[in-house]
Amino acid sequence: MSTVSLQGVRRSYDKTLALHDVTLTAPEGQVVALLGPSGSGKSTILRLIAGLESVEAGEIRINGELVSAPGSTLATEQRRVGMVFQDYSLFPHLNAAANVAFGLDKLGRAERDEAALRWLDRVGLKHRASAYPHELSGGEQQRIALARALAPQPRAILLDEPFSGLDAVLRAELRDATLATLAETRTTTIFVTHDAEDALQAADRLVILKAGRVLQEAAPREAYDRPASLDAAAALGPVNIYKGEITNGALQTPFGDINAAHLTNGTSAQAAVRAEALTLTPNGSTRVISVRPHGAHDLVKIESQGVTWRALVPARMPLGDAVSVTIQPAGAFVFSA
Amino acid sequence: MSVATAHTRTRGVQIDGVAVAAALATFVCAAPAIAVIALAFAPGAEGATFAGDLLRDGALGTLALVLAGGGGAIVFGATAAWFVSLCRFPGRGVFEWLLVIPLAAPSYVLAYSYASFSWAGGWSPIEVRGFWGAAFVYAVGLYPYVYLSARAAFASQSACALEAARSLGVGPLKLFWRVALPLARPGIVAGAALALMEIAADYGAAQHFGLTTLSTAIFRAWYAHQSLHGAIQISAALLLAALVFLMIERRARGRAAYGGGSSRWRPLPRYQLSALPAALATIFCIALIVFGAILPLAWLARLAWLHANIGDVAPALINSLVLAAVGVVLTLALAAAIASAARRSTNIGKASLFAAGMGYAAPGAVIAMGALAMFSLAREWGWIGGLGSALALFALFWTYAARFAAAGVGPIDAGLARLSKGLDASARTLGAGPWRRFAEIDLPIAMPSLAAAALILFVEILKELPATLILRPFNFDTLAVKAYSYASDERLLEAAAPALLIFLAGLAPIVLLARSIDRTRAGAR
Repeated sequence: MSTVSLQGVRRSYDKTLALHDVTLTAPEGQVVALLGPSGSGKSTILRLIAGLESVEAGEIRINGELVSAPGSTLATEQRRVGMVFQDYSLFPHLNAAANVAFGLDKLGRAERDEAALRWLDRVGLKHRASAYPHELSGGEQQRIALARALAPQPRAILLDEPFSGLDAVLRAELRDATLATLAETRTTTIFVTHDAEDALQAADRLVILKAGRVLQEAAPREAYDRPASLDAAAALGPVNIYKGEITNGALQTPFGDINAAHLTNGTSAQAAVRAEALTLTPNGSTRVISVRPHGAHDLVKIESQGVTWRALVPARMPLGDAVSVTIQPAGAFVFSA
Repeated sequence: MSVATAHTRTRGVQIDGVAVAAALATFVCAAPAIAVIALAFAPGAEGATFAGDLLRDGALGTLALVLAGGGGAIVFGATAAWFVSLCRFPGRGVFEWLLVIPLAAPSYVLAYSYASFSWAGGWSPIEVRGFWGAAFVYAVGLYPYVYLSARAAFASQSACALEAARSLGVGPLKLFWRVALPLARPGIVAGAALALMEIAADYGAAQHFGLTTLSTAIFRAWYAHQSLHGAIQISAALLLAALVFLMIERRARGRAAYGGGSSRWRPLPRYQLSALPAALATIFCIALIVFGAILPLAWLARLAWLHANIGDVAPALINSLVLAAVGVVLTLALAAAIASAARRSTNIGKASLFAAGMGYAAPGAVIAMGALAMFSLAREWGWIGGLGSALALFALFWTYAARFAAAGVGPIDAGLARLSKGLDASARTLGAGPWRRFAEIDLPIAMPSLAAAALILFVEILKELPATLILRPFNFDTLAVKAYSYASDERLLEAAAPALLIFLAGLAPIVLLARSIDRTRAGAR
C-alpha cells in the first residue's frame, strides 16, 4: 500500500504531445479514477506508472521512491505495481490457477499453489482453477486478471478500462465486486475509464483529463458540484452550453438567469447547465420538441428563442406541448469565456 | 532500494539486437545472389563462347520443360482443386488432403523411382524417360502447388457470386469456365509460379533424364569445363528466371487477397455430380495420388527391401541428419531474426524479408555457385586459405540458410502473432525479468510454430541436392548425394533405399500440412 504521485509529467509520441505537465496523486489505499475520452492520455498515464514507458519531463514516485525521471526508469518488473489490462492479457498457455500463481514465483511451490487458490476463491472462481483462458467468459477472465494482479501484493494496482468489454448488467455487478475486493485489500488503485458513471460510483478521487491535460482533480461529489471548467462539467454527464454576456451579475439564457456574481459585468461568458438540473412544469412558454425514455428518466428536448436544450426529468411526467423551466443553481455553472 | 542501482535504461539496447540480427540475415540471404549477378557481369576472358552455347541450350531446355511439365501441373492441380472445392463425389473429403502428398518427394526421387519402374527390370509397359519422362514427373509431382493455392482461391470465393450464376441457369461446366475460374485465376497463377520455379530449379531429375537445362548447364560448365565464370553466368540467367517467377507469384497473391473479401460468406454450394462424372472425378483424383505418391513410394519400398545396402546407406543417413540438424538451428535463428524484424515493419525488416524471398526463389545450384564465388574471391584477396572441409561446411550451411530462411519465416511469424504486447507487459508487471518472460511466456506460446518451422527446414535441407553436391566436403555423402550418385551410375536398385528415406522424411511436414487442410476445409471458416 503506497502513495503514487506524478509531478509535471510530460510524454509525446511521434512529436505530438500525449501528456502535458500532468500532476496528480493517488493517496495510499484510495481508489482514483482517471476519466476522459479516448486520446486524453489516461492509458498513457497508467503505462508510465507501470514503467512500460519512460517520461520526458517530470517525475513519478511510489511511496516517495523516485521510479521515473527523464533518462532513468525503474524497470517494470522491479516496481511491484500490478496491472489489469483492457484485454486482460491472460497467458493463453496457462490455466487460471497458474496465471494467478505467475507473480508468486518467490514462494515455494506448495505455498504458491495455496495462495493462488486463495485468490481465486476471493474472486469467486476457485471452481475454475484448472480452466484455460479460452474456456472462461469475459467476466471470469477479468476476475482472474484482477486476482493475478493482486496476488503478489503490489504497492499499487492499475486497471485499464476494467469494465469496458462487458455488458451492462455484468458491468455493474463486476464493478461492485472489484471494488469490494480492492477495499478489502486496501490497495492503492488507479483505474482508467471513459464512463462517468463508473468513475463517480467507484472512485474516492476523480482526475478528469482532456487532450493530455488534467482538468480537475477532486472528490467525486466536489467534481460534480463544483466543476473547474466547462469541459470538466461536461465530463460528468450531459450539459447544455450557452454563450452570452454578464449583466447584473448573471448570465441570461432563454430558459432563465444563472447567477455569476464572481464575474465582471459586460464580460462574455459560457454557461454549463446539467441536463438533470432543469425542472420542467406543465404550461409555459418553452416548446417541447420531443420526449424519449432514458433509463429511469425521460430525455426532453426543449426549445426557446431558437435555442435547444436537453433536460432529464422523472419518467412519464405529463408535460404537454409547452412547459416552464426552472434552472437549479446547484447544477448550473458560469465560466468566463 | 537505492535509486541509482535500480534504474535501468529502457531504450536502445533490445531494439538494436533484433535490427543487427536482421541486418546480418539480410546479408546472409542476399550475398550469394548478389555475388552471382555481380560476377556474371564482370569481364571474364575464359570460356565466353561455350558458356553462350550452354546458356542458349539450357534456356531452351528449361523453357520447354516449364511449358510441358508446368502445363501438366497447372491442369492437374486446378482441375483437382475445382473438383474437391465445388463438387460432391465419392471420396471428396479424403482426396482433399491426400492430394498434397506428392509434395513429399523431390522430383529427383520420383525420377529415380519411375526410371527403375520402367526400365531397369521394372514392370511398366511405358518407359518414363527423356523429355516427356521429365515432364510427366514434374506434372504429377508438382501439381500440389497449383492445387493448394487454387483450392484456397476456390474456397474463399463468395458463394453469392456462384449462386447468382446458378440462378441464371449456368451449369457446372460453364460455371467453372465463366465464374469460378476467372475468380480463382490469381490463386492458380500464384501456385503455377511456384511449380514453374521448382521445375526451373530442379537439377536431379533433369540430369537423370539426360536433359540440358539451365540447372544442368551450371554443373556442366563447372565440372566438365572447369569454368567458374561460365557457371556463374548461367546461374545469373537462372536466377533471373526465378526472380521473374517470384514476381509473378507475389503479384498474383496480392490480387488473390482481394478475391475472397466478401463480407457475406456462406459455405460453398457443391454440385452433386451425376454417376459418370462422379466416377471420373474419383478416378482422376486417385490417379493423381497414385502416380504422384503411392506408386513411386511403393516401388522404392520394394526395391529398398530387396536391394538395400544398409552399411552403405547408414553413414549417409547420419551425415544427412547431422547436416540437417545443424542447418535447422542456424537457419531457424536467421528466420526468427527476419520474422521479428519484419513484424516491426521497419526498413531493415522489409529488406531482410525481401532478401530471404530472393534466396528462397533462387535454385540451390545458383546459391551454391554464389557462395563458391564469394569464397573464391575471399581467397583471392587473401582473407582465407584453400576451401578445406571446415570452410566447405561453412559455405554449405550459409547456402542452406540463404536458401531456406524464408521457409521458416512464415511459421515463426504465425507464432509471433500469438504473442501480444499485452502478455509481455503483464508478465513484466508481475515481476518477470527478460529471461523468465522468454522461457515461460514467449517460448511456450511460440513453440508449436517453432517446431513446425524446424520440421519444414529439416526436411528441406535433407532433400536438398544441387547445393550439397557442389559444396559438400570431399567424400562427404548425404542421402540425397548417395541416391544421386547411385542413379548416375545406373545403379537404380541401390539408389532406392536413400531415395525412400528422403521420401519418408518428406512425408512428415506434408502430414502436418494435410492436417491443417483438414481443419480449414472449404465451408468451415
